[in-house]
Amino acid sequence: MLNYILAFAEGGVTIQWNIVGLSVAVMAGMAVVLGAVILLVNKFCHVETDPKIDEIYENLPHANCGGCGYAGCSDFAKALAEGKVPATKCGQLKGDSVAKIASILGVEIADEGPTVTVIACCGGNKANDKFEYQGYCDCQYENMLSGGRKACSTACLGDGNCKAVCPENCIEIVDGCAVVNTDLCTSCGVCHGACPKSLMERIPSTAHYYVACSSKCRGKDVMGQCKVGCIACGLCARNCPNGAITMVDNLPKIDYSKCTNCGICASKCPRKCILSTKKD
Amino acid sequence: MNILPIILAAVLSNNFVLIQFLGICPFLGVSQKVDSALGMGIAVTFVMVLTCLVTYPIYNYVLVPLGLAYLEIIVFIFVIASLVQILEMVLKKFIPALYSSMGIYLPLITTNCAILGVAELVLTETLVTGLFEAVLYGLFAGVGFTLAIVLLAGLREKLDKLPLAKCLKGFPATMIASCFMAMAFYAFSLI
Repeated sequence: MLNYILAFAEGGVTIQWNIVGLSVAVMAGMAVVLGAVILLVNKFCHVETDPKIDEIYENLPHANCGGCGYAGCSDFAKALAEGKVPATKCGQLKGDSVAKIASILGVEIADEGPTVTVIACCGGNKANDKFEYQGYCDCQYENMLSGGRKACSTACLGDGNCKAVCPENCIEIVDGCAVVNTDLCTSCGVCHGACPKSLMERIPSTAHYYVACSSKCRGKDVMGQCKVGCIACGLCARNCPNGAITMVDNLPKIDYSKCTNCGICASKCPRKCILSTKKD
Repeated sequence: MNILPIILAAVLSNNFVLIQFLGICPFLGVSQKVDSALGMGIAVTFVMVLTCLVTYPIYNYVLVPLGLAYLEIIVFIFVIASLVQILEMVLKKFIPALYSSMGIYLPLITTNCAILGVAELVLTETLVTGLFEAVLYGLFAGVGFTLAIVLLAGLREKLDKLPLAKCLKGFPATMIASCFMAMAFYAFSLI
């Protein structure tokens, strides 16, 4: 090969231009013939697709994030046109697009308003470890090992699977716990599938406060597992002026239709596990 | 006419998957279930027939007379890719049922080595003397592929139900099973 290149550089090799031309001509001829055949076949064999699919596709976010479980927005549009899924499956759809898609499909879709995703855990380094994990830094792998190193079975492991998949790069690991920057979050839902603990929750984007704990254990047990976990004292529920908070399974549940973002619950919480999405 | 030797060679003694080790990717990838294995086998057979039908004349009546035989691989890839494209469109229009059952496999096998292999091997096969034999060779090469993949799919369905050791379950057991299949088929080439 090297000898050939050297000989070529010295002009010792003559290029047989007639053969080069012949090869190019044969390839070009075949390209033209096959291209023409494909064009003709495409013209004669064009299959009419449902025009609704294109219209719906125009109204989708075109982010191709895959959060709906389909292979991109065009696949989702097809499923929508066939009535297989509701449009609300797409977390990124904003109000008027939902209404437009609903009118194309001729169905009523209850508009719940835009949402954002929050992570219902604030433990991180404040949650106790039950053993030292030295494996691969991946939540799924760690979770396979007896549910991860955290004493609390519903604690964020902080290995950042959600951070890795987030298409908007809005998740950060702060002090060993994932935190969503809700200003950037489009609620696409990709991280929901990535978390082995299913800690992601959707709240209305107008809401400020959310419960950052998922432990359904009794208060005494939580005390031994985590410094910031909810101990189900019920102070938030008792002090809420609008009665928006109820205690369900040892956790407060905020009814966002009643919440006025007053922040009393967060200030009363002795464990500081009701957090605000808005930075002060 | 040497029809019978061609059939025996293509299906058994020179089986594309188990003797020549071509097309291993779909052989291991699409053999979880007998149904999908059969679909894949039929799609491969279809494309192999078409490939032989087109590439054999192109080689013998275009490339050889022009002295461009060394362009065969690039020309074959080119032709096969276009053919599959055309076939897909025609099927979508005229036989939508077949398209929906076979359509997903068609783009997958465009650049499969078994397809390119049949285009190449049909030229060197001494039994093949004309276009008819070439097409026959392509057809039965496809039948041989279908036979191998359906046999493996049947074995895998049974293997999944066996109480195997965890380290053997799934892919390792499949590899061992296909190894034994290849050894069994090797006996045909000794005849």
